[in-house]
Amino acid sequence: MKKIEAIIQPHKLEDVKKALTGIGIDGMTISEVRGHGRQKGHKEVYRGMEYQVDLLPKVKVELVVPDTRFEEAVQTILLSARTGKIGDGKIFVSDVREAIRIRNEDRGEGAL
Amino acid sequence: MTESAIPRGTAQFQLLERCVFVDQEVLRAFAEVQPAVTVVAVGGYGRRELFPCSDVDLLLLVDSFAEAAAGKDAISRFQQQLWDAGLRVSQSVRTVEECCEIHEGNLELTISLLDHRYLAGDERRHRALQERFPKFITRERNGIIRHLCQMTHTRHAHYGSTIYHLEPNVKEHPGGLRDLHVLHWLSLLGVSSTDAHDDARLKDAREFLYPVRIALHRNSARDNNLLSFEAQETLSEDPASWMREYYRNAREVFRTVSHALYKAESAESGLLAQFRERRARLSNSEFTVSRERVLLREPGLFESDSSAAMRLLQFVARHHVRLARDTEKRLGSALSRFQAQHSQSGSAWRAWMDLLKLPGSASAFRALHEAGLLTSLIPEWARIDALVTRDFYHRYTVDEHTLVALESLEALGAANGNTLERRFAELLHDAHNAALLRLALLLHDIGKGGGTGEHARQSVEIATNMLGRLNAPAADQETVLFLIERHLDLSSVMNTRDLEDPATARFIAAQMGTVERLVLLTLLTYADISAVNPQAMTPWRLERLWRLYSVGHYEFTKELESDRIHSGAADPETAQFLEGLPVRYARTHPPERIQSHVALAREAAASGAVARILKENGFFRAEIASRDRPFLLASLSGTLAGFGMNISRAEAFSNGRGICLDTFVFSDPHRSLELNPSETDRLADMLRYAALGTLDAEQLLRSRPKPSRRHGAEVEHSVRFNNDASENATLIEIVAQDRPGLLHDLAQAISSAGLNIEVVLVNTEGHKALDVFYVTRERHKLDAAAGSALEQILRSASG
Repeated sequence: MKKIEAIIQPHKLEDVKKALTGIGIDGMTISEVRGHGRQKGHKEVYRGMEYQVDLLPKVKVELVVPDTRFEEAVQTILLSARTGKIGDGKIFVSDVREAIRIRNEDRGEGAL
Repeated sequence: MTESAIPRGTAQFQLLERCVFVDQEVLRAFAEVQPAVTVVAVGGYGRRELFPCSDVDLLLLVDSFAEAAAGKDAISRFQQQLWDAGLRVSQSVRTVEECCEIHEGNLELTISLLDHRYLAGDERRHRALQERFPKFITRERNGIIRHLCQMTHTRHAHYGSTIYHLEPNVKEHPGGLRDLHVLHWLSLLGVSSTDAHDDARLKDAREFLYPVRIALHRNSARDNNLLSFEAQETLSEDPASWMREYYRNAREVFRTVSHALYKAESAESGLLAQFRERRARLSNSEFTVSRERVLLREPGLFESDSSAAMRLLQFVARHHVRLARDTEKRLGSALSRFQAQHSQSGSAWRAWMDLLKLPGSASAFRALHEAGLLTSLIPEWARIDALVTRDFYHRYTVDEHTLVALESLEALGAANGNTLERRFAELLHDAHNAALLRLALLLHDIGKGGGTGEHARQSVEIATNMLGRLNAPAADQETVLFLIERHLDLSSVMNTRDLEDPATARFIAAQMGTVERLVLLTLLTYADISAVNPQAMTPWRLERLWRLYSVGHYEFTKELESDRIHSGAADPETAQFLEGLPVRYARTHPPERIQSHVALAREAAASGAVARILKENGFFRAEIASRDRPFLLASLSGTLAGFGMNISRAEAFSNGRGICLDTFVFSDPHRSLELNPSETDRLADMLRYAALGTLDAEQLLRSRPKPSRRHGAEVEHSVRFNNDASENATLIEIVAQDRPGLLHDLAQAISSAGLNIEVVLVNTEGHKALDVFYVTRERHKLDAAAGSALEQILRSASG
């Protein structure tokens, strides 16, 4: 099993969700986050003056998928989240040792 | 209550049946074991309202504890029998003396004894109880009532003092069965607070809530009172409209119990009561406030003058008080009558605006809603009354959401700390049409009752009718309808568009048309999201919404120089005035203000210069129209500084005919304008002379004492030049520590360098001055050498 963490542009969330649901992946956790990579914030103009905004609002999508579906899921996120501009975000992948469903203690891929 | 009085098949009959069954079980166990006690049913069981899985509350009366100890085995066996029969028994063993004492921390015992009923055993003890308990209650009545009220308030507060829970507990939550019990107990304690009308509504509520609790108990086979989503679906095929019934009933119960608590506590004296009484000083010639509730001084007031009903609402909005029972009763018909009589003349509309201008108007709508009277003011409100939005995000019904949205806007006014919320608060403070914003907010979801999914469109239709009925001016109608129609637009842009894409900024500007509309819709969106549930407006969303506002605002105001108005205004005088002003001017000033500027420019053309000073929102605004001339801005700002005024914002524009319009927003730290009424006229005269060039502002400034340097956080100074921001002017941005006369010194330095100031935007935040100048030399941008020379001059001038 792999855990995919994708940090994406907020306005791309609907597209990513739709695309993932389209390939049959419904389970995901979504959180509102802030951060910056190389995009490094932006200048904001308020009442004639500029302000530096350091941390930009982003959305984090987290999902855990069976190894067999992992490439497909990553490709789907890449295609649906990309605008080609700086700030599109990043995807992080890690191995997951175990998954356990709290209700009935199902384990492994069956618990996903 | 007898068996024959209750119709078969009703919920109450089922409770009675259960009670009869339990009575038989108790008697059978008693006959078998023969414990030396008197068995008395108390609490719900005592008043023959026993729900399927509720505890069976028994009082076992004994003569003494020695006797109880001796008969302990028999009591245990009696209890065991009942448990074996499947009853959850909760019993207490007491003497009659104990029943007639106050038990600190166990008021429940005394309360449960209010409903007692003899079941079995030595009747002598029960007779003693019957004789002594009422005397005890009479003696301790006030203390018991006070405790009961406190317990009820604490329980309400524990559940957020709101009936609006997506999955309510039908017993404990505000408006639930426990509140019906409180009403029952208060009436047993001699506080009668309901009339025939209330009793009828409470009967309806009982008939709704009882079967629900019975079904919850039966379906889960335990004392479960939580009306979960699942349970709602089990109990009804159309859970949304069924829950609407639930909320309506709960609201009636909650409202009635609130009034009853108020009445019960009225008798109480003490510190709290004294504090509340102090609010009586709020009273005026028409209304008087007693214990946070408004009463009419003259009961017939509304009959002789129906417009007093609207004044009452303003009074409520100003002082955040609630309506007294008697006031509620008289208000409804007065409101309907007032609107019917005064709509044609436009005075109904003016009364509406007077109410909506008040930041606290939400509390007037809240008070009306609590009394069930909002439909007298807005008949269309019935569509969304207790209407349920059934999803996991919306905590509130549509009517409650609307009121919470208005309250969120009000709370914004008091925002501090979080800098982003402060900025929204500033937007609201500066908003020209906050009254129309509040009206739009009140009506934004009113089309939701239609059930078609296109609610914004329907809300517009309903609002159009209402505004027409009130004879609202066309421009106001247009603003309100615009806000209602677009109330989802900014949320949608926020979630689906890339805010960094210039196309998004252009899109927002094109959709909104003017800065004023962008501001109002931003604030409406803020309130709308905040009222979805208490956690909906996350800092993250707040930031997104602000970003959206600022990119839109920047788009509106960025073409300071390059885009000049070439007006096609219908009225030739307005067209002449607007011709050649920056596009920014039209986008940032509402039509009424533009019209007043046209008049100002007319006078200036005749007399050379004209100045006026207006007081608004705790600040002063000086507007000066005159022929443009070198050093104009320096003279005007120097004059204001010379009078000791503190300039917080300023802008200067000139049109194609060489008329310059300078606006300064300033505060009067020494209160000289307030304390000397003639001083305002003198300052206006001086500004006029300064504009004409006949007053030496330098002279005036020199006569002022030099301010001492402030200690504390120093602002980092900066002077920046930008030759790309505009097509034909150089942009200079200056950040400096604010001080009296700063603007004058900067303007003086720029003019002394032979430059022309085209546009000025000045702002201050705390001790930081943010000044933006667009300057030209002989109608062209500055070259690099001139730029760096000026930079040196400005650095020393701003220091």
